Amino acid sequence: MSTYNWLIRREFWENRAIWTIPAVLGGLMILVTLFGKVNRISIPLQLPSQTVGGGFLLAVGVTFFVVMAIYSTWYLLDCLYADRKDRSILFWKSMPISDTTTVISKLATALIVIPAVYFAAADVTSLLMAFILSVRASSYIGGALWHADVWLQLQVLWLYVIATSAVWYLPLAAYLLVVSAWAKRAVMLWSILPPIAAILVERWFFGSQLIANQLWDRTVGWLVLAFHTSPGAGWQTTVVDNEAIRTPASIWSFLDIAGFFSSLETWIGAAAGLALIAAAIQLRRRRSEM
Amino acid sequence: MTALIEARELTKKYGAHVALDRANFSVETGRIVGLIGPNGAGKTTALRAILGLTAYEGQLQVLGREPLRDRTLLMRDASFIADVAVLPAWLRVDHAIDFVAGVHPRFRRDRAAELLAKTQITGKRRMRELSKGMKTQVHLALTMAIDAKLLVLDEPTLGLDILARSAFYDALVNDYMDETRTILITTHQVEEVENLLTDVLFIDKGRIVLDSSLDDVAVRYAAVAVAADRVEAARAEKPFFERRMLGKVVLYFEQPNLEKLAGFGEVHTPSVADLFVAKLSGGAA
Repeated sequence: MSTYNWLIRREFWENRAIWTIPAVLGGLMILVTLFGKVNRISIPLQLPSQTVGGGFLLAVGVTFFVVMAIYSTWYLLDCLYADRKDRSILFWKSMPISDTTTVISKLATALIVIPAVYFAAADVTSLLMAFILSVRASSYIGGALWHADVWLQLQVLWLYVIATSAVWYLPLAAYLLVVSAWAKRAVMLWSILPPIAAILVERWFFGSQLIANQLWDRTVGWLVLAFHTSPGAGWQTTVVDNEAIRTPASIWSFLDIAGFFSSLETWIGAAAGLALIAAAIQLRRRRSEM
Repeated sequence: MTALIEARELTKKYGAHVALDRANFSVETGRIVGLIGPNGAGKTTALRAILGLTAYEGQLQVLGREPLRDRTLLMRDASFIADVAVLPAWLRVDHAIDFVAGVHPRFRRDRAAELLAKTQITGKRRMRELSKGMKTQVHLALTMAIDAKLLVLDEPTLGLDILARSAFYDALVNDYMDETRTILITTHQVEEVENLLTDVLFIDKGRIVLDSSLDDVAVRYAAVAVAADRVEAARAEKPFFERRMLGKVVLYFEQPNLEKLAGFGEVHTPSVADLFVAKLSGGAA
């Protein structure tokens, strides 16, 4: 365990962007809240206070997680490539640390550590923004940002997002690790070319687009499977400007836990992910240099 | 007894290029072995195979283990500097020490601190801020602080000035080396390590052309500087290489008849560097 500890610490030393990007993002959002024209925010006050506050805090969190998805993609592509490029792999491999441990530590950084950092950054930023808005725009937003149950529900939501996306995107993350462990240069290009080539070949020779559909499903399928994206039981209706708006009454009517974890797609993807991780480990073992 | 490193028919191909061609050699405990060969001879490939960094054909045992399969276990007992200046640019000196202390059971932190105290390097500095020589010193300090049975050094002093080089080799022989340890070293500065080596391995075009202790070299090889007018007579003794030098011709012999040779001039044991030139230029003798 202590080896993993040091390997994770090592990732923070090498990739300071793990915390500098969320810090800057949070800082910008707080600056806007401090000096922006927050009194001009128009809020559909007909909606329940919980929905307004929840929607606002949700938007803050989603912003963090979208940025995180972009950064994590880059991190995974770089993490087994950078030390081959600067040849420092020869130093890391002189330590009694197995290639399996190394690869797992990188994967854990991408799927657990980085999300945890963004989770914390989103919470700290949300708290500070809520506090600033309560002072600067109390007449508009009022107590909407201070519903304890909304805060609690959002914590559950983020944990759920981290857990389910880690399972769902395991094959994509592992694929990026394979490219990172394999490519001699231009990891970004090498990560995009094979799927594009596969799609084109399939289209030219068979006229079908199974691969494209699979890839598209893998990209957006998580949203569809892990959440109730269409109104159902436990959703509430509010009429705003003669228009009925349906929103989940609580987090529980929004998360489709059973649907996600009982889906065959989830577990086929995870199995493919494990196979790709094994491939990345083998490549790491044999490719010590470019 | 079994050797510390035992290679049988060790072969490594990169496509059509054969970097190691059925190389056989062994290294015994307690020796300081110089792996010497021209550029592209397969030195680095051999070291990579020994350290479990590359796949190979043939048989290879290092400390009783298969390097590629058991690299993690092997690295508890073997340490290496496979090349100079490979510490990553972003790494801080104190973090490097913390890390190795954290993951390596045989790392002696006090020893590393002691070695670094002799340099001008402070803990908060990153590798990118250090000169090539300083980086090498940090790497050497980290590596020599590991209580390893086998130490592998690939051009360890590249980028160091003459003082630092000689200090390094002094420390290697006087502080680090003892009868339980074994050192395998490659370098272009053969003259510099000649006095500390106990054994030499000459490698050329992927094959081992000489695997011998220096004691045996002294018995097996001799060189004689012969005046020009006596060269023809001396050639009857079948030298495997000759070289002109200051109006004389130096002839190199394997399994020499020392009594006969003494008649042609002063017989001496060739230096490792001279023997290397003689063996590789003299070809298949």
